[in-house]
Amino acid sequence: MSTLFLGILIAMIWGAAGFWLRQHTKLTVVEVSALLALTAGLILPRIFVDGGFFALVCTAVSYAAMCSDERMCSYGEMLVVSIFCALILYFGQNILVGVGGRLGTSAAVAVLLLVLIKSLFRLGSAKVNVES
Amino acid sequence: MWHHILICLPILGAILDVAGVLSSQMGRVLFLVVFIAGLIGAIRHASFKFSPDLVRSAVLSLIGAVLTFILSTKLKLGVVVASALVGLVGAQVFKGRDQLVLYLGVFVGMGSVLSFTSLIVAGLLGGLFFELTGESWVGVGGRLGTLAAASVLVVLAAIGGV
Repeated sequence: MSTLFLGILIAMIWGAAGFWLRQHTKLTVVEVSALLALTAGLILPRIFVDGGFFALVCTAVSYAAMCSDERMCSYGEMLVVSIFCALILYFGQNILVGVGGRLGTSAAVAVLLLVLIKSLFRLGSAKVNVES
Repeated sequence: MWHHILICLPILGAILDVAGVLSSQMGRVLFLVVFIAGLIGAIRHASFKFSPDLVRSAVLSLIGAVLTFILSTKLKLGVVVASALVGLVGAQVFKGRDQLVLYLGVFVGMGSVLSFTSLIVAGLLGGLFFELTGESWVGVGGRLGTLAAASVLVVLAAIGGV
């Protein structure tokens, strides 16, 4: 379980870094994603026993960071997506094993979950406004 | 609605995998039937037109897949480092959507379940999917990886290697 919590923490750090790079540099989405994945792949396996798994989580987070500004517009949203990525990869380790694009699919599912939650909240607040 | 099916294929693949039927004949046939329905839907959609971009994207995706595969398996860099390196170098060489298509190919090359021949087919298919799903999940991070997974799963289902 400590692997999961540490994975979530590292994912959030990488997610925040990705969002910062998107907002404050002129790097393209591909460059931001590749930079994040490269640092994760080079550093994490050398520091942690489960570094290989953490690198995969951070790579998935780097794909999620490729979101457009309309889809993801704050650090809070990026952190939520990072947490979703870590959870999906941890609990879905035995799903689509070895299939290229698995990490990207996990990232997309995490982003779509955020979009779903956001629209549910919007729907809920619209109902409250109508009733009041 | 039908043209969105292609990009949803990995979700179907994951559900079938969880149910333990992805490798079965029934699972593979179901997957391929849904793929064909999605393919027809995408081709018949108003926004689709046959253009040289189809070939260009297929070739770019193939290049990304093959380079990543070689770096990760032959040079033993590992999939994460190999994919990031190809993505970074590709971003310096190509601009705009070409960068994205090459990066899509990179994701195809990250897989470990394909032979080299199957990888070539999946790489080409990835580029075609990029063109066919232009209006699906726009701006969603992970879209390229999802398209890559769709192409890999279609090839696996077709050759019976899931």
